[in-house]
Amino acid sequence: MLDIELGSSSRTCDGMHRRGFLRLGSLAFGGLSLAGVLANQSFAAGHSNRKAVIQIWLAGGPSHIDMYDLKPSAPAEYRGEFRPIPTNVDGIEISEHLPHQAKVMDKLAIVRSAYHTNAGHGMGSQWMLTGWQPTIEVNNNIFPACGSVVSRLKGANDPALPAYVNLPNMLGLGKSAYLGASFNPFAPDSDPNNDGFQVRNLKLPGRVDPARLENRRSLMARVDTIRRDLDTKSDMQELDKFYAQGLEMVTNDKTLKAFDIKAEDPALRERYGRNDLGQSCLLARRLVESGVSYVTIQAGGGWDTHGDNFKALKDNLLPKYDMALAALVNDLAERGLADDVLVMAFGEFGRTPRINPGAGRDHWPGAMSVVYGGGGLKMGQAIGETDSKAEAPISKPYTPGDVLSTMYRVLDIDYRHVFYDEARRPLPVLAEGNPIPELV
Amino acid sequence: MLNSSRELFQLLVSSEGNDVTQQASYQSSHPEIATVDARGSITSQAAGEAKITVTMGDASVEVPLVVNADSGTRQVNFRTDIQPLLSRHGCNSGGCHGKASGQNGFKLSLFGFDTEFDYGALVHEARGRRIDLAAPERSLLLTKSIGSVPHGGGKRIETGSDAYEMMLAWIQNGAPRPTEETPRVVEIQIEPAERILQPGALQQLRVTANYTDGTTRDVTRNTDYGSNVDVVATVDEQGGVTAGEQSGEATIMARYMGQVAVFRAIRPHGAPLAELPEFEPRNGIDRLAAEKWKKLGLRPSPPCDDATFIRRVTLDLTGRLPTVDEVRAFLADESPDKRSQLVDRLLDSPDYPAYFALKWSAILRNSRLAGADQAAYAFHNWIRDNIARNRPYDEFVRGIVAASGEWQDAPAINWYWQSRDDQLHMVTADTAQLFLGIRLQCARCHHHPYERWGQEDYFGLAGFYARLGRKSFGQPPPYYNSSKNTTGERNPLTNQPPTPRYPDGEEAEFSPEQDPRHGLVDWMSQPENPFFAKAFVNRMWGHFFSIGLVNEVDDMRETNPPSNPELLDYLAEEFVTSKFDMRHIVRLITTSRLYELSSAPRPENEYDNQNFARFYARRLIAEVLLDAVDGTCETKSNFGNISFNARAVDLPHEGFGSYFMDTFDRPQRVSVCECERSPGATLAQVLLMSTSDEMENKIADGNGRLARLFKEETPVPTVVEELYLAAFARFPSAEERQVGEDYLNSAEDKRKAAEDLLWTILNSREFVFNH
Repeated sequence: MLDIELGSSSRTCDGMHRRGFLRLGSLAFGGLSLAGVLANQSFAAGHSNRKAVIQIWLAGGPSHIDMYDLKPSAPAEYRGEFRPIPTNVDGIEISEHLPHQAKVMDKLAIVRSAYHTNAGHGMGSQWMLTGWQPTIEVNNNIFPACGSVVSRLKGANDPALPAYVNLPNMLGLGKSAYLGASFNPFAPDSDPNNDGFQVRNLKLPGRVDPARLENRRSLMARVDTIRRDLDTKSDMQELDKFYAQGLEMVTNDKTLKAFDIKAEDPALRERYGRNDLGQSCLLARRLVESGVSYVTIQAGGGWDTHGDNFKALKDNLLPKYDMALAALVNDLAERGLADDVLVMAFGEFGRTPRINPGAGRDHWPGAMSVVYGGGGLKMGQAIGETDSKAEAPISKPYTPGDVLSTMYRVLDIDYRHVFYDEARRPLPVLAEGNPIPELV
Repeated sequence: MLNSSRELFQLLVSSEGNDVTQQASYQSSHPEIATVDARGSITSQAAGEAKITVTMGDASVEVPLVVNADSGTRQVNFRTDIQPLLSRHGCNSGGCHGKASGQNGFKLSLFGFDTEFDYGALVHEARGRRIDLAAPERSLLLTKSIGSVPHGGGKRIETGSDAYEMMLAWIQNGAPRPTEETPRVVEIQIEPAERILQPGALQQLRVTANYTDGTTRDVTRNTDYGSNVDVVATVDEQGGVTAGEQSGEATIMARYMGQVAVFRAIRPHGAPLAELPEFEPRNGIDRLAAEKWKKLGLRPSPPCDDATFIRRVTLDLTGRLPTVDEVRAFLADESPDKRSQLVDRLLDSPDYPAYFALKWSAILRNSRLAGADQAAYAFHNWIRDNIARNRPYDEFVRGIVAASGEWQDAPAINWYWQSRDDQLHMVTADTAQLFLGIRLQCARCHHHPYERWGQEDYFGLAGFYARLGRKSFGQPPPYYNSSKNTTGERNPLTNQPPTPRYPDGEEAEFSPEQDPRHGLVDWMSQPENPFFAKAFVNRMWGHFFSIGLVNEVDDMRETNPPSNPELLDYLAEEFVTSKFDMRHIVRLITTSRLYELSSAPRPENEYDNQNFARFYARRLIAEVLLDAVDGTCETKSNFGNISFNARAVDLPHEGFGSYFMDTFDRPQRVSVCECERSPGATLAQVLLMSTSDEMENKIADGNGRLARLFKEETPVPTVVEELYLAAFARFPSAEERQVGEDYLNSAEDKRKAAEDLLWTILNSREFVFNH
């Protein structure tokens, strides 16, 4: 046991500035790491690690029982038509339609026993993307998305790049809520699989060449001379900073290169899959390499398979997703980034194990599978177990807070850090949950 | 006079008007009767008499003290003694055991609002391990608190501290349950109430609790303190305030057993002023603002020039930039009252109701959720019409709160429709926030932590909506007043449907034919209503001055007092006596000298951010900025399914796609809070403004301003001048003319050079801020 005097600037779990002690007894899980505490105390001075997260968001709710948690001995109206196949880890089987992932199972970990209790898309999504279950169904963030939190508490690994990026477009529930607009995601708004891929507004308009932009900048220095202290919140100066960063990004090679997916080896682009998801995954890898700290990729909206579940999965959804995720974890491993970059894939919930009359499956938050790759976590395992029909965890039930605190832990972010919303309500990053012990 | 059983009393010592409680030294003549610590806090020990000697430099004072014998062994009481400790040490806060899910299986009511619940949780749950009557020292309550067994919240108190001894004594007494007779705290008082403090000055506070049985007790050491502006003043756990380096005002909140009181720490900007010759008040706003400045030693910035004024007031009243012609005419106008004439002209123009309809429509959540497009148009137009005709505000509110019928007749039912059936309870908190300036949503589940509002207040207000019925057809469906309870909501305190009770007032009764919602508006619009008028005038103040007199504008509470209470009272009074004339308040504000002040700080007010000694600049909101860009470029944005002439501020709901407006944080209308708009800057905004095709196309538009100027073969000096007039509502300075003309004249392609100049102007801080 070790008592650490954190001084009067530390925040205790009730969010008040107060002199307090932190007891570090069992560091295995459940508590803060010392590094996390110190890093958070000095987050304004810059977070020192280069860790990053790539989140693949399977919007609509991916079918756990057809992907990672197959039940071949369940009755026919449950088990569906897919067969399990072995993977490169003994004893772990996944769907026959995830053959690429089966070959890299040693670089992945599946949590089969995640669950929550809200079967609505909006509320379930907000819960899984923020860690908080909203009380109303709205199409906007009431709580900040994880990427916004990371942007606020850690920032970008390289200041020339945005901290938090959504690919290819802005995610509806990926925003910053009470953290303020500055922590919203940056999105290219363009499909990286297209030959004409172009980050929105990052390329100069046709009529404006770099020389002309330079003329404008120098003219600006002589025209835009109004005092910067006319407001009380430093918004004017803040805007100056974003102008410096923005115009730098447009002209700086580093940023343009980070987004320049065409610089990738065509063979590698093929391995990821020549489609929006595959190329978004590849672009995400380029971005985190260059200094983005959190990327959320939208893996299409087709996962809400109420009808024709099996056809949609095997013909469309799974092949793209299978290739992209497998290529990503392989690529990261080959580049020695497996420990620095955490990949996560999940949606807002699982799907009803009982097949509906339209050969589809409906919303099912009672059990869902969550996939992790890298991040220095323990890979090559399947964690937790659901009952014989994949309806509910029978061991190691894990909540959204557990799932997300595992990610924050990889980034060394204190997920009990308290923010205040507009009503001055103290809101910790996560109100519940602890890192999944089998992974850390 | 104290009782013998470890009662506390905080001395407050001052010398020449300054608090020296923390600098003085203290000695007790009879420590066995009463001890005193270095901070002047006396603790009684036994019956008898003693003297406390207070020494400060050469001076000393003796304080005689009588300690009365107690009637017996002191009974430590759960409600009066133990619960305050749980609050004081953060155990029942929202981040720990006070949150809805508790912490590690142990849940307390938030900040101790529910004594019965907390007693049960401590004494009866966890198989009695939290309280061990057989071995009191082994009670988890104690061992967790001192950290001798692992505790997620760490060590909270020291073994042997007063708090420890108090809890131990209570357990040793058998952890008695509080009874109905146990005194409750009815209010707390803080001494002093307000002080002017110089940098680094210390001020000790004393907090006294009054109980239902008429007794009082010094609770200085068991109160929870907080400052709302740390850089102005901080407060420690023992109620010691330290003034900071920055001038301004801080509110120190003291919270004890659900009651709050505040101390106002004033760090003056300079020595008090007898006169402010440079500022001659024009109306009550000016007079009361100036009174405050004198007290704080603040001097106002000079009035802004005419150009700044026409830009400022046109943006604030109509959400658009003044046109080049308007600016030229105004600057040339020599009449002495041209500013107030301008205000009247703008208020009479259709642009004023258009802009304020946007403002209200956003916070009234006028949305087209589930495709109620027509209803959203109707509600928007209804709001605009009310403002155009300047209907009294209470009638406007009645049209919303008591809306009944089909949307064609009562478009405001779209407000109810936004909450559907499953969230209909939201109208209760929304009513409080919108029209009373009270944030009551917390009190649905627990006592408001910073205010006196509890669940009985929330469900009292909910009672007015409990009979709101709706038909099952239409988008939105008709709403009506039912004779029976319809919402199915239950007050958890009574397990009955909520019954109407006015906030801070009496129960209300309504016959089945009466619509309780009308009763609610009747109550609101009474002249003496303490919330209604203030909430409106404060919201308007926030609109014109960037922040409210109470800020945020809809968060009025004791612990968030107005920066200038007299000024808020004056405006509320004006509003009431004018029979809720919205335009009267708007005109009072915009014709005040205060509103005309320059935003440029001077040394005597550079740290002022609460008292409006200068105008506080702010970024244009999304819709207004887009209109300003289009106005400057003489272009139109196409919003799709609406008149081609519609400006962004005219859009009736949020459903018109616009990357521009979304990038500048147009609200989605999911909240009644004005804070749904964020002024924060983002990278995407900068890229949009500086390197997007969208902006470049506006700048170089074939039918835009530059195209016209070049087609008309306008001379270069006039081109430069017109761009400044259109964007900044002012003529360029001689130097700016020189820079602009040189840039155009030296370019091969003057049109392109003019585009560069326009780009520069649109990307300048002067353009995107109202200053």
